[in-house]
Amino acid sequence: MKITHWIHIRPDVIILDGKALVSTGKGIEMLTSVYRNRINDYPKYFKMDSLSKLGFIASELLLQEEKERLVNVESRAIVFFNRSSSLCDDKNYQETIRDKDNYFPSPAIFVYTLPNIVTGEIAIRNKYYGETSFYVLDCLNTEKMKQIIDDAFQDEVTESVLGGWLECYDNNNFEAYLFIIKKNDKEEFLLDWNIETINKLIDTNK
Amino acid sequence: MKETILKLKQEIIEALNLEDIHPEDIDDNAPLFGSGLGLDSIDALELIVLMEKNYGIKLKDHAEGKAVFQSIAVMADYIEKNRKK
Repeated sequence: MKITHWIHIRPDVIILDGKALVSTGKGIEMLTSVYRNRINDYPKYFKMDSLSKLGFIASELLLQEEKERLVNVESRAIVFFNRSSSLCDDKNYQETIRDKDNYFPSPAIFVYTLPNIVTGEIAIRNKYYGETSFYVLDCLNTEKMKQIIDDAFQDEVTESVLGGWLECYDNNNFEAYLFIIKKNDKEEFLLDWNIETINKLIDTNK
Repeated sequence: MKETILKLKQEIIEALNLEDIHPEDIDDNAPLFGSGLGLDSIDALELIVLMEKNYGIKLKDHAEGKAVFQSIAVMADYIEKNRKK
């Protein structure tokens, strides 16, 4: 299996296939700037929580690199990981129910209080009907991530996976390492999908 | 009434994160759901919260909400007649 494209996003930098992307602002403002300058056709972005915004921007930039953008496919799975689950949005939701005298639970915030909502957002956007899953790990464990992503290929339909680490603590503290992994791909940009490569890509940019 | 409509539009834009939409972009009489602003079911729930939080109005059932949320003008009229704060 091969990595056809990969992306690393921190609050102050975006690296796509090893090259830094020109962006303005920091944190969530940087993500919104990228949305306006490079995507700008999906207003639902503005309703998403920060974890979903991060996943959406990372996936959009990755998928824009593909020669042919896949739509209506069952052969692509989405498999994400992080450590803090949906804690960022959980905290925002708690703020809406913390005060007994000002108790107005927000439905729009509540719907994002699960980490796997972001996988659904991306699947809806791209009309992917394959597996979507989100695993909460103790730490960024590349061996575990690889093992679980490899397992996603064991069914009869999955030909590619959009997967990786997607962590968001708040609007100014987040990190994404996402990959497109394919079986026997012939595109030009290729890296082997093995633990050495994964560790190199992740360590190189830390 | 005009003041209520403008204030309501501003509150809805903020509550529903309607980025890049300004009060003057919203037709007072256009449907809020389906066409018009194209709001969804979660937005409807947020509007119910907005009515209670900002105006002390508790919408009791689905049918009442459907009638009240026809358009900005209908909402504003309902608010002026039923507001408790």
